[in-house]
Amino acid sequence: MEEPYRVTPQLALRIGILGIFAVTIFCVLFFRLWALQVISGDKYLEEARNNQIRTFRAPAQRGSILDRNGKVLVSNVPGTAVQLWPAALDDVSAERRDLTLRRVARLLGIRYRTIVRELDERKNDPLTPITVKTQVPAATVDFLLEHQADFPGVQIAQISLRHYGQGALAPQILGYVGEISKEQLAAKEKEGYAPGDRIGQAGVEGAYDPYLRGLPGIGRVYVDALGRVKSAREFEQLPEAGDNVRLTIDADLQRTAQDALAYGIRIAHEDGKWAADGGALVAMDPNTGEILALASNPTFDPSVYVGRVKQRDLNRLKDPSANHPTLDRAVAGVYPAGSTWKPVTALAALEAGLLAPDEIIQCTGKEVVDGQTFTNWDPYANEPMTLRTALAASCDTFFYQVGLRFYERPDSPLQKWARSMGFGRPTGLDIGPEETGLVPTPAWRRRYFKSEIDKIWTSGDSVQLAIGQGDLLVTPLQMTRFYAMLANGGKLVEPHVVKSVEEPGNEGQPPVVLRPYAPKPAKDVGLNPTALHVVQEGLYAATHESYGTSSGIFGAFPVPVAGKTGTAEKFVRMPGYQGLQDQAWWCGYGPYANPKLVVCALIENGGHGGVAAAPAALQVFQKFFKVDPNSYSSAVKNSD
Amino acid sequence: MATRAFPAARPHQGTELGAFLRHVDYLLLAAVGGVIAYGLWVLGAITRHDVPGDSTYYIFRQEIYVAVGVVALAAVTAINPDVYRRHARLLYALAVVLLLIVFPLGERVRGSQRWIEFGSFRFQPSELGKVLLVLFLAGFVADRAKRVGEWRVVWSVVGLAAVPIVFVFKEPDFGSALVYGSAAAAVLFFAGAPWKHLAVLLAATVLATASLLWFLPSAGVEVLQPYQVDRLTGFLHPDVDPSGSTYNVNESITAVGSGGYDGRGVAGATQTNLDFLPEHNTDFVFSSLAEQRGFVGAAILLLLYALIAWRGIKVIAVAPSVFTAAVAGAVVFAFLVQIFINVGMTIGIAPVTGIPLPFVSYGGSSMITTLVMIGLLEAIHVRGRLEGRK
Repeated sequence: MEEPYRVTPQLALRIGILGIFAVTIFCVLFFRLWALQVISGDKYLEEARNNQIRTFRAPAQRGSILDRNGKVLVSNVPGTAVQLWPAALDDVSAERRDLTLRRVARLLGIRYRTIVRELDERKNDPLTPITVKTQVPAATVDFLLEHQADFPGVQIAQISLRHYGQGALAPQILGYVGEISKEQLAAKEKEGYAPGDRIGQAGVEGAYDPYLRGLPGIGRVYVDALGRVKSAREFEQLPEAGDNVRLTIDADLQRTAQDALAYGIRIAHEDGKWAADGGALVAMDPNTGEILALASNPTFDPSVYVGRVKQRDLNRLKDPSANHPTLDRAVAGVYPAGSTWKPVTALAALEAGLLAPDEIIQCTGKEVVDGQTFTNWDPYANEPMTLRTALAASCDTFFYQVGLRFYERPDSPLQKWARSMGFGRPTGLDIGPEETGLVPTPAWRRRYFKSEIDKIWTSGDSVQLAIGQGDLLVTPLQMTRFYAMLANGGKLVEPHVVKSVEEPGNEGQPPVVLRPYAPKPAKDVGLNPTALHVVQEGLYAATHESYGTSSGIFGAFPVPVAGKTGTAEKFVRMPGYQGLQDQAWWCGYGPYANPKLVVCALIENGGHGGVAAAPAALQVFQKFFKVDPNSYSSAVKNSD
Repeated sequence: MATRAFPAARPHQGTELGAFLRHVDYLLLAAVGGVIAYGLWVLGAITRHDVPGDSTYYIFRQEIYVAVGVVALAAVTAINPDVYRRHARLLYALAVVLLLIVFPLGERVRGSQRWIEFGSFRFQPSELGKVLLVLFLAGFVADRAKRVGEWRVVWSVVGLAAVPIVFVFKEPDFGSALVYGSAAAAVLFFAGAPWKHLAVLLAATVLATASLLWFLPSAGVEVLQPYQVDRLTGFLHPDVDPSGSTYNVNESITAVGSGGYDGRGVAGATQTNLDFLPEHNTDFVFSSLAEQRGFVGAAILLLLYALIAWRGIKVIAVAPSVFTAAVAGAVVFAFLVQIFINVGMTIGIAPVTGIPLPFVSYGGSSMITTLVMIGLLEAIHVRGRLEGRK
């Protein structure tokens, strides 16, 4: 046995040190607890409360889009969506999260990487669910509901999907609805848009989104750590359904216009114009600017944009071989105007005093200007003509000489008048995007071109511009508006596709108009009535005199129609081909004395305007004036 | 009751029992009883919804562990600690064997192999091993009390302690390894190892820790998995990866903080009830306590712990031998370290290592072992008083 044990001074010291250690750790713990619980308690309480609350947005029922007669073009159908709560996924372990995402991807047939990327993109916004799939089969929904515990952060939501009852009707006008992009969100956050919102992306859906979208509901729901909902949804703000938008479009006429374009392309093909592959057709009320039909070919089925868009479908639309079906050629396609431009030249010349209404100019087969030869479409022509006849027969050499007279004038009167008649600037259509086209001027040449030779405006430029060629670019809508001006006595209307914003009436009552579309009053261009009248007569002669370029199409039509053909050379690039191709135009209006409808048709690479474009336009007139094509006889005569 | 005079004559049996009972530290027992009662009350509220349809599942089992633990405490109090000293090697062998058999037999739970299944009871050898190691090391040093100033003894203790430490470290159970190491150091400290040796040991420990966590990984040698390193060092920078390695800590801090001054109550403690707090009946029980009962509730618990620590420290002073002083010192120090690591982990000032909160965390091994440790303190206290009376 050892000797009796005593507490040595050394041990006493060490016990004291242990005592100090104990006091220290308790002090540290107390102070830390005091700091957390008493000083910052409210902050953590808030955090703990937020932990379990998910704010959700319930999108409102989107308004429908109707045609002018109330026919439903776009409505909604209920659908099922699988959504992910990023916040709930953040609350589980990385392995569990990964496993969940992989299982969801496999179950829904989406790429795992796609899901991860979308989650990454929304990293800063964990409280908005991400829709990973719509139109989910019932069996999959049942499976997910039964195995909720295995899918933390996954939820099934009832959503409403856009439904296009009329199929591929006017998709370029209607636009589509898609998830809000980062850029849109940055621009529109103040207007109450939030991440994950679906927003109108183009056309009417885009331009009238503030009316169509309604007011989303906002509410809160309690969830546990796995994101499972633990309470009923409480709304702080109930969703308010969006308003309906009634268009000026007539669904039946629109369908006719689309069919007419396809018909025009077909007859261009039959005429040997293999490159004819698209077109645009606008039908408008010349007095109000209400657009009754606005077709663009090729077209597409807008339902590819419903719900979660498949990349494959988008790629198909974007493929060059599809020839840009989403492009609205009537508004955003630019072309040289060709002979349909001649009324512009005529009016400007009359107004500028460069030409008298009954002045006679020799129409020849060709014209040599400063050593450069410009040919007439009819190389054998050789007769004196007045302006009326020259318009009707579309004599190029007549207008070459008028063009030369413009060249003598330093103040570019043709371009000035063209501008005041709506060219080279947007028409103000209520849906976009719109191209402005180009009216070339000497100043523009100096600005645009690099080499000194190209900077010079030559007589050739004036000659070309006089027949709607050269650098001139117009949209079919600008042409329509111009022909409407001819029809309505010299006023520029504001074209528009929306008639009113309205809400459905209760129990069979008529709908209540909330906001009629109020176009700017038609602006008088300030044309001399005599000058206008001469041009009108020329256009009437073009469709009715034997020498008129589209009298074969419209001569026998029971409603008097006046109009002009155009065959415009354009340098085109297509897959596997590039070169000059004729763009077929026809623009006109009727009835001649009291115009109700103006139509402009364009067939890309369609050859002669009288061959491809005029027959297409005729179909729209037939439909509009309810004329049976078999009730009258028409002798087809091809010319320009 | 310090120095009351008793007859020097050999007392007969009855009087001996009376003297024995008179020298039990009842204040210590009362503090322990208080913590246990408080812990049961708290745990009952925390685990009410954990097993659907059986609100008393955990608390019922915990009560059984308390009962077993109290019997163990009484038994250990009755046994003369010198018995352990005589059989120190046996205890060491037992500890090593127990810690070894978890590898072939152990139950793997959440990536860690710490438990052996006995029917419905899950036994955690590292808890019992803690006591066995302390007793052995104290005995080893006491046998060489005169040579405790020699390097050989110190290194022997380090080597002998290292074996079980490495075992628990490999389970992996960093928390227990840390407690083992602290206990071993405390044995040397209270057995009278020279300051110089202790300082060298401390420096070596710091160096080893640093190389394990920082130097070796940056040199490409990874003894620990990167996620383990993250867990251990995460508390130093909690905002780096809030949903990853520090998720538990952040939720825990939120829970503790949200408790405020007087707590959110049982029903209002959403962090606990909605499972945002992981392991809220074991490792993170303190967070739930702090969320439900607030600063006041947490302070009550800490004060009770402080009372136990104070009584424990007094036991070291009355210990009748080097052996018992070392045992008492190691037990008290291990107890303090365990409290600091567990509570500190829940409030973000200590690494996340899974060790239970004494007397409060749900679990039989911990409850019984801690009560055995209290029993050791009592046994030493009684013997010290009886010796002093002679």
